[in-house]
Amino acid sequence: MASSSQFKQLEKLGNGTYATVYKGLNKTTGIYVALKEVKLDSEEGTPSTAVREISLMKELKHENIVRLYDVIHTENKLTLVFEFMDNDLKKYMDSRIVGNTPYGFEMSLVKYFEWQLLQGVAFCHENRILHRDLKPQNLLINNKGQLKLGDFGLARAFGIPVNTFSSEVVTLWYRAPDVLMGSRTYSTSIDIWSCGCILAEMITGRPLFPGTNDEEQLKLIFETMGTPTERTWPGVSTLPKYNPRLPQHLPKDLGALLQSQTREKMELTLIDLLYGLLQLNPDRRLSAKQALNHPWFAEYYQ
Amino acid sequence: MSDSKALKILFKSPVTDDMIRYLTNTTLSVLPCAREPRQAYPSPPSSPGATPKRALPSLMTFITRLVRYTNVYTSTLLTATCYLEKLRQLLPRDAHGLPSTGHRIFLACLILSAKFHNDSSPQNKHWAAYTDGMFCLEDVNLMERQLLQLLNWDLRVEEQELCDVLEPLLEPIRHDLVRSRKAMARNYYHQRNMSTCSSTSTLVSTPSVPSLASMKSLASMKSLASMKSLPSLPSLPQLPSKASLYTPLYSQCDYSTATLV
Repeated sequence: MASSSQFKQLEKLGNGTYATVYKGLNKTTGIYVALKEVKLDSEEGTPSTAVREISLMKELKHENIVRLYDVIHTENKLTLVFEFMDNDLKKYMDSRIVGNTPYGFEMSLVKYFEWQLLQGVAFCHENRILHRDLKPQNLLINNKGQLKLGDFGLARAFGIPVNTFSSEVVTLWYRAPDVLMGSRTYSTSIDIWSCGCILAEMITGRPLFPGTNDEEQLKLIFETMGTPTERTWPGVSTLPKYNPRLPQHLPKDLGALLQSQTREKMELTLIDLLYGLLQLNPDRRLSAKQALNHPWFAEYYQ
Repeated sequence: MSDSKALKILFKSPVTDDMIRYLTNTTLSVLPCAREPRQAYPSPPSSPGATPKRALPSLMTFITRLVRYTNVYTSTLLTATCYLEKLRQLLPRDAHGLPSTGHRIFLACLILSAKFHNDSSPQNKHWAAYTDGMFCLEDVNLMERQLLQLLNWDLRVEEQELCDVLEPLLEPIRHDLVRSRKAMARNYYHQRNMSTCSSTSTLVSTPSVPSLASMKSLASMKSLASMKSLPSLPSLPQLPSKASLYTPLYSQCDYSTATLV
Protein backbone atom coordinates (compact mmCIF):
# COMPACT_ATOMS: atom_id res chain seq x y z
CA MET A 1 0.00 0.00 0.00
CA ALA A 2 1.26 3.45 -0.94
CA SER A 3 1.50 6.40 1.38
CA SER A 4 0.46 9.92 0.43
CA SER A 5 4.00 11.24 0.93
CA GLN A 6 5.02 9.28 -2.12
CA PHE A 7 3.11 11.70 -4.35
CA LYS A 8 3.53 15.38 -5.04
CA GLN A 9 0.14 17.01 -5.50
CA LEU A 10 -0.01 19.29 -8.55
CA GLU A 11 -2.86 21.24 -10.16
CA LYS A 12 -6.54 20.46 -9.73
CA LEU A 13 -8.03 18.61 -12.68
CA GLY A 14 -11.67 18.70 -11.75
CA ASN A 15 -14.48 17.79 -9.40
CA GLY A 16 -15.96 14.33 -9.75
CA THR A 17 -19.30 13.20 -8.40
CA TYR A 18 -17.99 12.67 -4.91
CA ALA A 19 -14.37 13.68 -5.08
CA THR A 20 -11.76 16.18 -6.24
CA VAL A 21 -9.15 15.07 -8.75
CA TYR A 22 -5.59 16.42 -8.83
CA LYS A 23 -2.66 15.73 -11.07
CA GLY A 24 0.09 14.09 -9.06
CA LEU A 25 3.67 13.04 -9.48
CA ASN A 26 4.99 9.77 -8.13
CA LYS A 27 8.25 10.99 -6.58
CA THR A 28 9.95 7.59 -6.73
CA THR A 29 9.09 6.69 -10.32
CA GLY A 30 8.66 10.14 -11.87
CA ILE A 31 5.36 9.02 -13.39
CA TYR A 32 2.31 11.31 -13.48
CA VAL A 33 -0.87 10.04 -11.86
CA ALA A 34 -4.37 11.30 -11.17
CA LEU A 35 -5.17 11.53 -7.47
CA LYS A 36 -8.85 11.25 -6.71
CA GLU A 37 -9.42 12.53 -3.19
CA VAL A 38 -12.54 11.53 -1.33
CA LYS A 39 -13.22 13.51 1.85
CA LEU A 40 -14.58 11.08 4.38
CA ASP A 41 -17.70 12.17 6.19
CA SER A 42 -17.60 10.40 9.53
CA GLU A 43 -21.39 9.95 9.59
CA GLU A 44 -21.39 8.07 6.31
CA GLY A 45 -18.19 6.11 6.80
CA THR A 46 -16.56 4.96 3.56
CA PRO A 47 -18.96 6.04 0.76
CA SER A 48 -20.54 3.11 -1.04
CA THR A 49 -19.54 4.73 -4.35
CA ALA A 50 -15.88 4.49 -3.32
CA VAL A 51 -16.33 0.97 -1.95
CA ARG A 52 -17.67 -0.18 -5.31
CA GLU A 53 -15.37 1.85 -7.51
CA ILE A 54 -12.30 0.46 -5.76
CA SER A 55 -13.34 -3.15 -5.44
CA LEU A 56 -14.54 -3.31 -9.05
CA MET A 57 -11.68 -1.39 -10.69
CA LYS A 58 -8.91 -3.08 -8.73
CA GLU A 59 -9.10 -6.19 -10.88
CA LEU A 60 -10.27 -4.55 -14.10
CA LYS A 61 -7.10 -4.42 -16.14
CA HIS A 62 -7.69 -3.47 -19.76
CA GLU A 63 -6.14 -0.92 -22.11
CA ASN A 64 -9.48 0.85 -22.50
CA ILE A 65 -10.18 1.15 -18.79
CA VAL A 66 -8.34 3.63 -16.58
CA ARG A 67 -6.01 1.71 -14.28
CA LEU A 68 -6.39 2.06 -10.53
CA TYR A 69 -2.85 1.77 -9.18
CA ASP A 70 -3.36 2.17 -5.49
CA VAL A 71 -5.55 3.26 -2.60
CA ILE A 72 -4.50 5.35 0.39
CA HIS A 73 -7.02 5.10 3.19
CA THR A 74 -6.65 7.23 6.30
CA GLU A 75 -9.14 8.22 8.97
CA ASN A 76 -10.47 11.29 7.17
CA LYS A 77 -9.31 10.95 3.58
CA LEU A 78 -9.39 8.31 0.90
CA THR A 79 -7.11 8.77 -2.11
CA LEU A 80 -7.40 6.72 -5.26
CA VAL A 81 -4.28 6.72 -7.41
CA PHE A 82 -5.18 6.40 -11.10
CA GLU A 83 -3.34 6.29 -14.37
CA PHE A 84 -2.98 9.87 -15.65
CA MET A 85 -4.95 10.87 -18.75
CA ASP A 86 -4.58 14.19 -20.59
CA ASN A 87 -8.21 15.01 -21.24
CA ASP A 88 -11.77 13.79 -21.31
CA LEU A 89 -14.04 13.45 -24.31
CA LYS A 90 -16.39 16.23 -23.16
CA LYS A 91 -13.63 18.83 -22.86
CA TYR A 92 -12.15 17.67 -26.16
CA MET A 93 -15.51 18.10 -27.92
CA ASP A 94 -16.00 21.53 -26.31
CA SER A 95 -12.60 22.61 -27.58
CA ARG A 96 -13.81 22.06 -31.12
CA ILE A 97 -16.74 24.46 -30.94
CA VAL A 98 -16.00 27.33 -33.33
CA GLY A 99 -18.03 30.43 -32.51
CA ASN A 100 -21.33 28.87 -31.60
CA THR A 101 -21.18 25.99 -34.03
CA PRO A 102 -20.25 22.59 -32.72
CA TYR A 103 -18.27 20.33 -34.99
CA GLY A 104 -18.16 16.59 -34.83
CA PHE A 105 -14.97 14.61 -35.18
CA GLU A 106 -13.54 13.31 -38.44
CA MET A 107 -15.22 10.01 -39.14
CA SER A 108 -11.99 8.05 -38.73
CA LEU A 109 -11.59 9.44 -35.20
CA VAL A 110 -15.26 8.77 -34.39
CA LYS A 111 -14.70 5.18 -35.41
CA TYR A 112 -11.47 4.79 -33.42
CA PHE A 113 -13.03 6.25 -30.25
CA GLU A 114 -16.26 4.21 -30.54
CA TRP A 115 -14.23 1.04 -31.14
CA GLN A 116 -12.20 1.66 -27.98
CA LEU A 117 -15.32 2.57 -26.00
CA LEU A 118 -16.98 -0.70 -27.00
CA GLN A 119 -13.80 -2.67 -26.23
CA GLY A 120 -13.81 -1.26 -22.69
CA VAL A 121 -17.53 -1.88 -22.25
CA ALA A 122 -17.24 -5.43 -23.59
CA PHE A 123 -14.49 -6.13 -21.06
CA CYS A 124 -16.65 -4.79 -18.20
CA HIS A 125 -19.59 -6.90 -19.30
CA GLU A 126 -17.43 -10.02 -19.65
CA ASN A 127 -16.39 -9.42 -16.06
CA ARG A 128 -20.04 -9.01 -15.04
CA ILE A 129 -19.79 -5.31 -14.31
CA LEU A 130 -22.23 -2.62 -15.44
CA HIS A 131 -20.72 0.88 -15.69
CA ARG A 132 -24.07 2.70 -15.47
CA ASP A 133 -22.67 6.17 -16.12
CA LEU A 134 -21.16 6.24 -19.60
CA LYS A 135 -20.95 9.79 -20.94
CA PRO A 136 -18.27 11.92 -22.62
CA GLN A 137 -17.08 13.36 -19.25
CA ASN A 138 -16.30 9.85 -18.01
CA LEU A 139 -14.36 8.81 -21.11
CA LEU A 140 -10.75 9.85 -20.69
CA ILE A 141 -8.42 10.36 -23.61
CA ASN A 142 -4.71 10.96 -24.02
CA ASN A 143 -2.48 12.50 -26.63
CA LYS A 144 -1.98 9.12 -28.29
CA GLY A 145 -5.68 9.02 -29.15
CA GLN A 146 -6.39 6.32 -26.60
CA LEU A 147 -9.78 6.31 -24.93
CA LYS A 148 -10.43 4.73 -21.52
CA LEU A 149 -13.48 4.30 -19.32
CA GLY A 150 -13.26 6.10 -15.98
CA ASP A 151 -15.41 6.94 -12.95
CA PHE A 152 -16.88 3.66 -11.78
CA GLY A 153 -18.73 5.35 -8.90
CA LEU A 154 -22.10 4.09 -10.13
CA ALA A 155 -20.87 0.71 -11.36
CA ARG A 156 -22.37 -2.51 -10.08
CA ALA A 157 -21.51 -6.17 -10.28
CA PHE A 158 -24.23 -8.39 -11.74
CA GLY A 159 -24.75 -12.11 -12.14
CA ILE A 160 -25.63 -13.07 -8.57
CA PRO A 161 -29.26 -12.92 -7.48
CA VAL A 162 -28.71 -10.03 -5.08
CA ASN A 163 -31.32 -7.37 -4.57
CA THR A 164 -32.95 -4.85 -6.80
CA PHE A 165 -31.29 -2.27 -8.97
CA SER A 166 -32.07 1.43 -8.80
CA SER A 167 -33.50 3.13 -11.87
CA GLU A 168 -31.86 6.40 -10.77
CA VAL A 169 -28.70 5.69 -12.71
CA VAL A 170 -26.88 7.12 -15.73
CA THR A 171 -26.78 10.85 -16.51
CA LEU A 172 -30.14 11.80 -18.02
CA TRP A 173 -29.06 12.43 -21.65
CA TYR A 174 -27.47 8.97 -21.88
CA ARG A 175 -30.16 7.04 -19.97
CA ALA A 176 -31.95 4.21 -21.79
CA PRO A 177 -35.74 4.44 -22.31
CA ASP A 178 -36.45 1.27 -20.29
CA VAL A 179 -34.56 2.77 -17.33
CA LEU A 180 -36.38 6.10 -17.78
CA MET A 181 -39.64 4.14 -17.52
CA GLY A 182 -38.51 2.72 -14.17
CA SER A 183 -37.09 -0.69 -15.14
CA ARG A 184 -35.04 -2.28 -12.37
CA THR A 185 -34.26 -5.47 -14.23
CA TYR A 186 -31.87 -3.94 -16.72
CA SER A 187 -28.54 -5.48 -17.54
CA THR A 188 -25.72 -4.84 -20.00
CA SER A 189 -28.07 -3.15 -22.49
CA ILE A 190 -28.14 -0.09 -20.19
CA ASP A 191 -24.55 0.72 -21.17
CA ILE A 192 -25.14 0.02 -24.86
CA TRP A 193 -27.77 2.76 -25.17
CA SER A 194 -25.22 5.24 -23.78
CA CYS A 195 -22.66 4.02 -26.36
CA GLY A 196 -25.22 4.80 -29.09
CA CYS A 197 -25.86 8.32 -27.76
CA ILE A 198 -22.12 8.99 -27.51
CA LEU A 199 -21.55 7.76 -31.08
CA ALA A 200 -24.17 10.17 -32.44
CA GLU A 201 -22.70 13.00 -30.35
CA MET A 202 -19.20 12.41 -31.70
CA ILE A 203 -20.58 12.59 -35.27
CA THR A 204 -22.45 15.89 -34.88
CA GLY A 205 -20.74 17.49 -31.88
CA ARG A 206 -24.16 17.85 -30.22
CA PRO A 207 -25.84 15.65 -27.63
CA LEU A 208 -28.44 13.43 -29.32
CA PHE A 209 -31.22 13.69 -26.70
CA PRO A 210 -30.57 16.71 -24.43
CA GLY A 211 -33.62 16.47 -22.15
CA THR A 212 -34.06 18.58 -19.01
CA ASN A 213 -36.17 16.07 -17.04
CA ASP A 214 -37.27 12.44 -17.26
CA GLU A 215 -40.46 13.26 -19.12
CA GLU A 216 -38.83 15.49 -21.72
CA GLN A 217 -36.02 12.96 -22.12
CA LEU A 218 -38.49 10.24 -23.11
CA LYS A 219 -40.34 12.68 -25.38
CA LEU A 220 -37.13 13.54 -27.25
CA ILE A 221 -36.23 9.87 -27.64
CA PHE A 222 -39.68 8.87 -28.93
CA GLU A 223 -39.93 11.84 -31.31
CA THR A 224 -36.87 10.52 -33.11
CA MET A 225 -37.01 6.76 -32.56
CA GLY A 226 -40.81 6.43 -32.61
CA THR A 227 -43.18 5.76 -29.72
CA PRO A 228 -42.94 2.11 -28.68
CA THR A 229 -46.02 -0.11 -28.65
CA GLU A 230 -46.67 -3.61 -27.32
CA ARG A 231 -46.09 -4.79 -30.88
CA THR A 232 -42.67 -3.15 -31.36
CA TRP A 233 -41.60 -3.76 -27.75
CA PRO A 234 -43.47 -6.58 -26.00
CA GLY A 235 -43.80 -5.83 -22.28
CA VAL A 236 -43.30 -2.06 -22.54
CA SER A 237 -46.73 -1.36 -21.04
CA THR A 238 -45.82 -3.27 -17.86
CA LEU A 239 -42.93 -0.91 -17.01
CA PRO A 240 -43.59 1.06 -13.79
CA LYS A 241 -43.63 4.52 -15.36
CA TYR A 242 -45.16 3.60 -18.73
CA ASN A 243 -47.57 6.27 -19.89
CA PRO A 244 -50.31 4.89 -22.19
CA ARG A 245 -51.37 8.40 -23.25
CA LEU A 246 -48.05 9.23 -24.90
CA PRO A 247 -48.37 10.95 -28.28
CA GLN A 248 -47.74 8.40 -31.02
CA HIS A 249 -44.70 9.32 -33.11
CA LEU A 250 -43.45 7.38 -36.10
CA PRO A 251 -39.71 6.74 -36.22
CA LYS A 252 -37.74 9.39 -38.10
CA ASP A 253 -34.86 8.72 -40.47
CA LEU A 254 -31.98 8.89 -37.98
CA GLY A 255 -29.37 8.75 -40.75
CA ALA A 256 -30.79 11.80 -42.55
CA LEU A 257 -31.19 13.62 -39.25
CA LEU A 258 -27.54 13.19 -38.30
CA GLN A 259 -26.29 13.69 -41.86
CA SER A 260 -27.84 17.17 -41.83
CA GLN A 261 -25.55 18.04 -38.90
CA THR A 262 -22.27 16.81 -40.32
CA ARG A 263 -20.36 17.53 -43.50
CA GLU A 264 -18.72 14.16 -43.87
CA LYS A 265 -20.68 11.47 -45.67
CA MET A 266 -22.11 8.89 -43.28
CA GLU A 267 -21.72 5.28 -44.38
CA LEU A 268 -24.83 3.09 -44.44
CA THR A 269 -23.12 0.61 -42.12
CA LEU A 270 -22.67 3.41 -39.56
CA ILE A 271 -26.39 4.18 -39.63
CA ASP A 272 -27.13 0.49 -39.24
CA LEU A 273 -24.84 0.30 -36.19
CA LEU A 274 -26.55 3.35 -34.65
CA TYR A 275 -29.92 1.62 -34.99
CA GLY A 276 -28.45 -1.50 -33.39
CA LEU A 277 -27.24 0.43 -30.36
CA LEU A 278 -30.30 2.66 -30.06
CA GLN A 279 -33.00 0.00 -30.08
CA LEU A 280 -35.79 1.09 -27.72
CA ASN A 281 -36.43 -2.50 -26.65
CA PRO A 282 -33.40 -3.45 -24.51
CA ASP A 283 -33.62 -7.09 -25.62
CA ARG A 284 -33.05 -6.04 -29.22
CA ARG A 285 -30.05 -3.82 -28.57
CA LEU A 286 -26.71 -5.21 -29.77
CA SER A 287 -24.27 -6.52 -27.19
CA ALA A 288 -20.85 -4.87 -26.99
CA LYS A 289 -19.30 -7.97 -28.60
CA GLN A 290 -21.84 -7.92 -31.43
CA ALA A 291 -21.24 -4.21 -32.00
CA LEU A 292 -17.49 -4.82 -32.27
CA ASN A 293 -18.21 -7.38 -34.98
CA HIS A 294 -20.38 -4.94 -36.92
CA PRO A 295 -19.36 -4.31 -40.56
CA TRP A 296 -18.70 -0.61 -39.82
CA PHE A 297 -15.65 -1.78 -37.84
CA ALA A 298 -14.53 -4.20 -40.55
CA GLU A 299 -11.22 -2.37 -41.08
CA TYR A 300 -10.26 -3.11 -37.45
CA TYR A 301 -10.99 -6.79 -37.34
CA GLN A 302 -10.22 -7.86 -40.89
CA MET B 1 -28.49 -25.46 -12.19
CA SER B 2 -30.55 -26.48 -9.18
CA ASP B 3 -27.98 -24.63 -7.07
CA SER B 4 -28.86 -21.34 -8.79
CA LYS B 5 -32.53 -22.02 -8.38
CA ALA B 6 -32.20 -22.90 -4.71
CA LEU B 7 -30.11 -19.76 -4.15
CA LYS B 8 -32.80 -17.59 -5.73
CA ILE B 9 -35.44 -19.18 -3.51
CA LEU B 10 -33.28 -18.76 -0.41
CA PHE B 11 -32.64 -15.08 -1.17
CA LYS B 12 -36.33 -14.40 -1.71
CA SER B 13 -37.43 -15.95 1.56
CA PRO B 14 -37.70 -13.91 4.76
CA VAL B 15 -34.91 -14.05 7.34
CA THR B 16 -35.38 -17.11 9.54
CA ASP B 17 -33.96 -18.21 12.91
CA ASP B 18 -32.03 -20.92 11.06
CA MET B 19 -30.26 -18.27 9.00
CA ILE B 20 -29.39 -16.23 12.09
CA ARG B 21 -28.11 -19.34 13.85
CA TYR B 22 -26.02 -20.18 10.82
CA LEU B 23 -24.56 -16.66 10.65
CA THR B 24 -23.79 -16.77 14.37
CA ASN B 25 -21.94 -20.06 14.07
CA THR B 26 -20.05 -18.92 10.98
CA THR B 27 -18.96 -15.73 12.77
CA LEU B 28 -17.84 -17.73 15.79
CA SER B 29 -15.80 -19.99 13.52
CA VAL B 30 -13.78 -17.04 12.15
CA LEU B 31 -11.63 -16.85 15.25
CA PRO B 32 -11.98 -17.81 18.89
CA CYS B 33 -13.15 -14.90 21.01
CA ALA B 34 -12.58 -14.67 24.75
CA ARG B 35 -15.70 -15.00 26.84
CA GLU B 36 -16.89 -12.14 29.00
CA PRO B 37 -14.78 -12.45 32.12
CA ARG B 38 -16.61 -14.49 34.71
CA GLN B 39 -16.45 -12.89 38.12
CA ALA B 40 -14.01 -15.37 39.66
CA TYR B 41 -13.48 -13.08 42.55
CA PRO B 42 -16.20 -10.73 43.78
CA SER B 43 -15.54 -7.11 42.86
CA PRO B 44 -17.38 -4.14 44.29
CA PRO B 45 -19.98 -2.28 42.21
CA SER B 46 -18.69 0.69 40.24
CA SER B 47 -18.31 4.08 41.87
CA PRO B 48 -21.39 6.30 42.09
CA GLY B 49 -21.79 8.48 38.99
CA ALA B 50 -19.97 6.13 36.64
CA THR B 51 -22.19 4.89 33.84
CA PRO B 52 -22.94 1.25 34.43
CA LYS B 53 -21.25 -0.96 31.85
CA ARG B 54 -23.72 -2.73 29.65
CA ALA B 55 -23.48 -6.46 29.49
CA LEU B 56 -22.46 -7.73 26.06
CA PRO B 57 -25.45 -9.32 24.33
CA SER B 58 -24.85 -12.77 22.90
CA LEU B 59 -23.80 -12.72 19.26
CA MET B 60 -27.08 -14.33 18.28
CA THR B 61 -29.09 -11.65 20.11
CA PHE B 62 -26.92 -8.97 18.52
CA ILE B 63 -27.52 -10.30 14.99
CA THR B 64 -31.24 -10.78 15.63
CA ARG B 65 -31.57 -7.14 16.73
CA LEU B 66 -29.64 -5.83 13.74
CA VAL B 67 -31.87 -7.80 11.41
CA ARG B 68 -35.00 -6.52 13.13
CA TYR B 69 -33.90 -2.84 13.19
CA THR B 70 -32.56 -2.67 9.67
CA ASN B 71 -35.02 -4.91 7.84
CA VAL B 72 -32.02 -6.01 5.82
CA TYR B 73 -32.59 -8.04 2.66
CA THR B 74 -31.98 -11.76 3.09
CA SER B 75 -29.49 -11.63 0.21
CA THR B 76 -27.44 -8.82 1.78
CA LEU B 77 -27.42 -10.61 5.12
CA LEU B 78 -26.41 -14.00 3.76
CA THR B 79 -23.83 -12.59 1.35
CA ALA B 80 -21.98 -11.30 4.42
CA THR B 81 -21.15 -15.00 5.03
CA CYS B 82 -18.74 -14.87 2.08
CA TYR B 83 -16.76 -12.11 3.78
CA LEU B 84 -16.75 -14.03 7.07
CA GLU B 85 -15.38 -17.04 5.24
CA LYS B 86 -12.70 -14.97 3.45
CA LEU B 87 -11.69 -13.56 6.79
CA ARG B 88 -11.48 -16.99 8.38
CA GLN B 89 -9.09 -18.11 5.66
CA LEU B 90 -7.06 -14.91 5.93
CA LEU B 91 -6.48 -14.75 9.66
CA PRO B 92 -3.56 -16.63 11.17
CA ARG B 93 -4.48 -19.86 12.93
CA ASP B 94 -3.52 -18.60 16.35
CA ALA B 95 -5.53 -15.37 16.06
CA HIS B 96 -8.00 -14.77 18.84
CA GLY B 97 -10.27 -11.91 19.78
CA LEU B 98 -11.84 -10.04 22.63
CA PRO B 99 -15.37 -10.84 23.80
CA SER B 100 -16.78 -8.26 21.35
CA THR B 101 -14.62 -9.22 18.34
CA GLY B 102 -17.25 -11.51 16.86
CA HIS B 103 -19.81 -8.71 17.07
CA ARG B 104 -17.43 -6.30 15.35
CA ILE B 105 -16.52 -8.72 12.60
CA PHE B 106 -20.12 -9.53 11.86
CA LEU B 107 -21.23 -5.89 11.80
CA ALA B 108 -18.38 -4.83 9.53
CA CYS B 109 -19.13 -7.67 7.10
CA LEU B 110 -22.81 -6.74 7.03
CA ILE B 111 -22.06 -3.04 6.43
CA LEU B 112 -19.76 -3.82 3.51
CA SER B 113 -22.23 -6.31 2.06
CA ALA B 114 -24.92 -3.59 2.15
CA LYS B 115 -22.65 -0.94 0.64
CA PHE B 116 -21.38 -3.19 -2.11
CA HIS B 117 -24.60 -4.97 -3.09
CA ASN B 118 -27.28 -2.30 -2.77
CA ASP B 119 -27.85 0.96 -4.59
CA SER B 120 -28.83 2.62 -1.33
CA SER B 121 -27.63 1.56 2.10
CA PRO B 122 -27.61 2.97 5.65
CA GLN B 123 -24.86 5.38 6.70
CA ASN B 124 -22.46 4.36 9.45
CA LYS B 125 -24.18 6.66 11.97
CA HIS B 126 -27.34 4.60 11.43
CA TRP B 127 -25.43 1.35 11.86
CA ALA B 128 -23.99 2.70 15.10
CA ALA B 129 -27.50 3.51 16.33
CA TYR B 130 -28.68 -0.01 15.45
CA THR B 131 -26.20 -1.48 17.94
CA ASP B 132 -28.11 -0.03 20.90
CA GLY B 133 -25.12 1.95 22.09
CA MET B 134 -22.75 -0.97 22.01
CA PHE B 135 -20.57 0.70 19.37
CA CYS B 136 -20.12 4.40 18.69
CA LEU B 137 -19.67 5.94 15.24
CA GLU B 138 -15.87 5.98 15.57
CA ASP B 139 -15.90 2.25 16.40
CA VAL B 140 -18.02 1.50 13.36
CA ASN B 141 -15.83 3.62 11.03
CA LEU B 142 -12.73 1.91 12.35
CA MET B 143 -14.06 -1.64 11.98
CA GLU B 144 -15.20 -0.87 8.44
CA ARG B 145 -11.80 0.55 7.48
CA GLN B 146 -9.96 -2.38 9.06
CA LEU B 147 -12.10 -4.94 7.29
CA LEU B 148 -11.60 -3.20 3.93
CA GLN B 149 -7.86 -3.37 4.50
CA LEU B 150 -7.94 -7.00 5.62
CA LEU B 151 -10.01 -8.01 2.61
CA ASN B 152 -7.86 -5.74 0.43
CA TRP B 153 -11.12 -4.19 -0.93
CA ASP B 154 -11.93 -7.48 -2.57
CA LEU B 155 -15.70 -7.51 -2.17
CA ARG B 156 -16.79 -9.28 -5.33
CA VAL B 157 -18.74 -12.44 -4.71
CA GLU B 158 -19.35 -15.14 -7.29
CA GLU B 159 -22.41 -17.34 -7.37
CA GLN B 160 -20.33 -20.47 -6.77
CA GLU B 161 -18.82 -18.94 -3.62
CA LEU B 162 -22.30 -18.19 -2.34
CA CYS B 163 -23.45 -21.73 -3.08
CA ASP B 164 -20.42 -23.14 -1.27
CA VAL B 165 -20.69 -21.08 1.91
CA LEU B 166 -24.48 -21.32 2.10
CA GLU B 167 -24.62 -25.05 1.39
CA PRO B 168 -26.23 -25.99 4.74
CA LEU B 169 -29.09 -23.54 4.05
CA LEU B 170 -29.44 -24.56 0.39
CA GLU B 171 -29.50 -28.29 1.01
CA PRO B 172 -33.09 -28.45 2.39
CA ILE B 173 -34.36 -26.21 -0.44
CA ARG B 174 -32.77 -28.42 -3.08
CA HIS B 175 -34.25 -31.44 -1.35
CA ASP B 176 -37.73 -29.85 -1.49
CA LEU B 177 -37.26 -28.98 -5.15
CA VAL B 178 -36.41 -32.57 -6.01
CA ARG B 179 -39.31 -33.89 -3.96
CA SER B 180 -41.89 -31.56 -5.50
CA ARG B 181 -40.61 -32.35 -8.96
CA LYS B 182 -41.06 -36.05 -8.25
CA ALA B 183 -44.51 -35.45 -6.83
CA MET B 184 -45.51 -33.51 -9.90
CA ALA B 185 -44.19 -36.16 -12.23
CA ARG B 186 -46.07 -38.79 -10.28
CA ASN B 187 -49.21 -36.72 -10.35
CA TYR B 188 -48.85 -36.23 -14.09
CA TYR B 189 -48.66 -39.97 -14.67
CA HIS B 190 -51.56 -40.49 -12.35
CA GLN B 191 -53.76 -37.88 -14.07
CA ARG B 192 -53.08 -39.41 -17.45
CA ASN B 193 -54.28 -42.74 -16.21
CA MET B 194 -57.32 -41.25 -14.66
CA SER B 195 -58.38 -39.42 -17.81
CA THR B 196 -58.06 -42.56 -19.92
CA CYS B 197 -60.03 -44.53 -17.38
CA SER B 198 -62.84 -42.03 -17.14
CA SER B 199 -63.14 -41.63 -20.87
CA THR B 200 -63.31 -45.36 -21.51
CA SER B 201 -65.65 -46.40 -18.72
CA THR B 202 -68.57 -44.05 -19.02
CA LEU B 203 -70.53 -46.10 -16.50
CA VAL B 204 -68.49 -44.84 -13.59
CA SER B 205 -69.23 -41.27 -12.66
CA THR B 206 -66.16 -39.15 -11.99
CA PRO B 207 -66.49 -36.23 -9.59
CA SER B 208 -66.06 -32.97 -11.47
CA VAL B 209 -63.79 -31.26 -8.96
CA PRO B 210 -60.80 -33.57 -9.35
CA SER B 211 -60.99 -33.39 -13.10
CA LEU B 212 -60.90 -29.61 -12.97
CA ALA B 213 -58.00 -29.77 -10.60
CA SER B 214 -56.24 -32.14 -12.90
CA MET B 215 -56.59 -29.76 -15.82
CA LYS B 216 -55.00 -27.00 -13.83
CA SER B 217 -52.10 -28.98 -12.50
CA LEU B 218 -51.49 -30.54 -15.88
CA ALA B 219 -51.10 -27.18 -17.49
CA SER B 220 -48.75 -25.86 -14.85
CA MET B 221 -46.44 -28.80 -14.67
CA LYS B 222 -45.94 -29.61 -18.32
CA SER B 223 -42.56 -27.97 -18.37
CA LEU B 224 -41.46 -29.37 -15.04
CA ALA B 225 -42.43 -33.01 -15.38
CA SER B 226 -40.01 -34.38 -17.86
CA MET B 227 -41.21 -37.21 -20.04
CA LYS B 228 -37.97 -39.04 -19.42
CA SER B 229 -38.74 -39.64 -15.78
CA LEU B 230 -42.09 -41.25 -16.47
CA PRO B 231 -41.02 -44.84 -17.14
CA SER B 232 -39.26 -45.05 -13.81
CA LEU B 233 -42.41 -44.24 -11.87
CA PRO B 234 -44.06 -46.88 -9.71
CA SER B 235 -46.63 -49.10 -11.32
CA LEU B 236 -50.27 -48.16 -11.11
CA PRO B 237 -51.54 -50.32 -8.23
CA GLN B 238 -49.09 -48.70 -5.82
CA LEU B 239 -50.02 -45.21 -6.85
CA PRO B 240 -52.98 -44.19 -4.72
CA SER B 241 -51.45 -44.88 -1.35
CA LYS B 242 -48.14 -43.24 -2.30
CA ALA B 243 -49.59 -40.17 -3.94
CA SER B 244 -51.93 -39.61 -1.01
CA LEU B 245 -48.92 -38.63 1.04
CA TYR B 246 -48.88 -35.24 -0.65
CA THR B 247 -51.78 -32.81 -0.54
CA PRO B 248 -55.49 -33.28 0.16
CA LEU B 249 -56.27 -32.28 -3.41
CA TYR B 250 -54.26 -35.17 -4.73
CA SER B 251 -55.74 -37.67 -2.32
CA GLN B 252 -59.18 -36.72 -3.54
CA CYS B 253 -58.07 -37.68 -7.01
CA ASP B 254 -56.65 -40.87 -5.62
CA TYR B 255 -59.94 -41.80 -4.17
CA SER B 256 -61.68 -41.48 -7.52
CA THR B 257 -59.08 -43.57 -9.29
CA ALA B 258 -59.08 -46.09 -6.50
CA THR B 259 -62.75 -46.73 -7.12
CA LEU B 260 -62.12 -46.92 -10.83
CA VAL B 261 -59.39 -49.47 -10.43
